[in-house]
Amino acid sequence: MQNFFTNLLYLPKNIGRLTYFFFDSIGFKFIFFLKCIKSCFTPDYYPDLVLKQIIKIGYNSLPVVGMTAIFTGMVLALQSYTGFSRFSAESAIPNVVVLSITRELSPVLAGLMVAGRAGAAIAAEIGTMKVTEQIDALKTLSTNPLNYLVAPRIIAGLISLPFLVFVGDIVGVFGGYLICVYVLNFNPEVFLVNIFNFVEFIDVFSGLVKASVFGLIITFMGCYHGFHASGGAQGVGLATTYSVVSSSIMILLFNYILTSIFFQI
Amino acid sequence: MNAKIKIRNLQKKFGSKTVLDNLSLEIFENESLAIIGESGSGKSVLTKCINGLTEYNEGKIIYENSYDVKNLKTEEKRLHISKFGVLFQNSALFDSLNVEKNIFFSCSEKKDFSILRDVGLDKSILSKMPAEISVGVQKRVGLARAIMSKPKILIFDEPTTGLDPVIADQINKLIRGLVIKKKLTTITITHDMKSVYEYADKVAFIKNGKIEWYGQVKQLKNCKNIYMKNFISGKI
Ligand SMILES: Nc1ncnc2c1ncn2[C@@H]1O[C@H](COP(=O)(O)OP(=O)(O)OP(=O)(O)O)[C@@H](O)[C@H]1O
Ligand SMILES: [Mg+2]
Repeated sequence: MQNFFTNLLYLPKNIGRLTYFFFDSIGFKFIFFLKCIKSCFTPDYYPDLVLKQIIKIGYNSLPVVGMTAIFTGMVLALQSYTGFSRFSAESAIPNVVVLSITRELSPVLAGLMVAGRAGAAIAAEIGTMKVTEQIDALKTLSTNPLNYLVAPRIIAGLISLPFLVFVGDIVGVFGGYLICVYVLNFNPEVFLVNIFNFVEFIDVFSGLVKASVFGLIITFMGCYHGFHASGGAQGVGLATTYSVVSSSIMILLFNYILTSIFFQI
Repeated sequence: MNAKIKIRNLQKKFGSKTVLDNLSLEIFENESLAIIGESGSGKSVLTKCINGLTEYNEGKIIYENSYDVKNLKTEEKRLHISKFGVLFQNSALFDSLNVEKNIFFSCSEKKDFSILRDVGLDKSILSKMPAEISVGVQKRVGLARAIMSKPKILIFDEPTTGLDPVIADQINKLIRGLVIKKKLTTITITHDMKSVYEYADKVAFIKNGKIEWYGQVKQLKNCKNIYMKNFISGKI
C-alpha cells in the first residue's frame, strides 16, 4: 500500500522539483545578469580588451556570417522563383529576398553562427579560467573578474552583432541578386531599383536591434556558463554545450518576441 | 603574541557534504605555517575561506582582531582578498598573457625587474606564453606574481607537488629564502615533509575537517599522535 502512494507521489514531486529548479536557475541567471550589466558601467574599464573582443567576436566571424548570408540569399531567390512563377509573380522575388534577409534571416542566422563560434569560445575560455583557478587569481590581484572578463565581452557583443548583421544584409541581398540576374535572367537595374524602392528603414533597423539583443544573449550566456563551470575539462565541455544550446533557444525566442513588437499587426 | 588570523569553529559545506567542521586555528605574524593532510581533506578550501575567495557556513575568521571575514561588504572583501598573495596549486597563470604581463599584472607603475633574480628567472623568459614553459618555471612565475602585489600574507598551495625532487628542492630553497629574508607571514599547503622541515615554523595537520595536530616543527620528532606519525612516515 505504502509503495502505491510513493509511486503516486512520484510525478507531482518531480514536477515540483523541476519547477523549483527552473525558477531558481532563472532567478540566479537574472541576478548574475544584473551584476554583469552593472560591471559595464563601473570602473575599472578595459578599452583594449573591448577592442580585442570586437575583433574576436565581430571581425573574425565575418567569413562565416558572409557565407551563411550569401547562400541564404541565393536559396531564397531560387525557392521564391519556383513558387512565384506558378502565378507569374516573379517581380516580387527581390522584395521577398530583401524583406526576409533584413528582418529575419540575417539576424537569426548570424546570431546562431556567432553563438556557435564566439559564444562557445567565451564559455570555454572563461570556464577553463574558472576550473584552473585563474579567476581566483584575478581576485587576489585586485581585479574584478566581471569588469575584466565579462564587461568587455558583453560590450563587444552589443557592438559587433549589428555590424555583422548589416554586412549579412548586404551580402545576402547580393546572393539573391546573383541568382536573379545570372540564373533567372532578371534585369540588374530593375532588381536594384525594386529593392531600394521597397525596403524601409524599419526593416533594416529592426534587424539591427535584434542583432544587438542577440549579441547580449550570446555573450551573457557564454560568460554565465563559463563562470559556473566546475569539475575540470568535463565541466568546461558541459559549459560550452549549455552556452550554445541555451543561447540558440533564447535567440529564437527573442526573435519571435522582437518581431511581434516591431511589426504589430 | 597576537594572532594575525584567528579561526574559530569554522564550518564549510558543499551542498550536503561537510568539508571543514568545527575547525579552529591561529596564524601568527611573521610565522610560517604548514598545513598538511590527505588529498581532499579540505586544505585548499581552508585557505580560500581565510582569504575570502570562498564563503563559509559557520564560525568566525577574525583578521588582526578587527573584522570577521564573513561580514565584509563587496569593496571591503576586495581589499581583504588583495592582502593575500597566492601561489595556486597549478600556478593559475593567465594563459592568454605572456610571462611579463603575468608577473606585472597588478602593477601599474614602473616595472621592477629585480623580482626575476629573486625567483631565479632569466629575462629571456618574459616574452614566453605560460603554455611554453615547464611546470617548475610556471611555479617561479606564479611565485613572482604573488610577491609583486606586496601582500601581507603569502599562501603557497602545494608548491612542490608534481615536480621532480631536484626542482622541488630548488623551489623549497627559493621559498625559504623569500620567507626568511622578507619576514613574511606565510601559509604553505603541502604533502611534502621536506618543505615542512625546510621552512615551516609551525605545522597544522587536518583530518576529517578538523585540526588533528598542531605544534612547532621541532615537536614533530616526538609527536604522540598516531595519525600524524603515520602521515609523516607515509603509512596508512
Ligand atoms: N567547488 C567545489 N564544489 C564542491 N566540492 C568541492 C569544491 N571544492 C572542493 N570541493 C570538495 O572539497 C573537498 C576538499 O577539497 P580541497 O581542494 O580543499 O582538498 P585538498 O585538501 O586541497 O586536496 P588536494 O591535496 O588534492 O589539493 C574535496 O573533497 C572536494 O571534492
Ligand atoms: Mg588542494
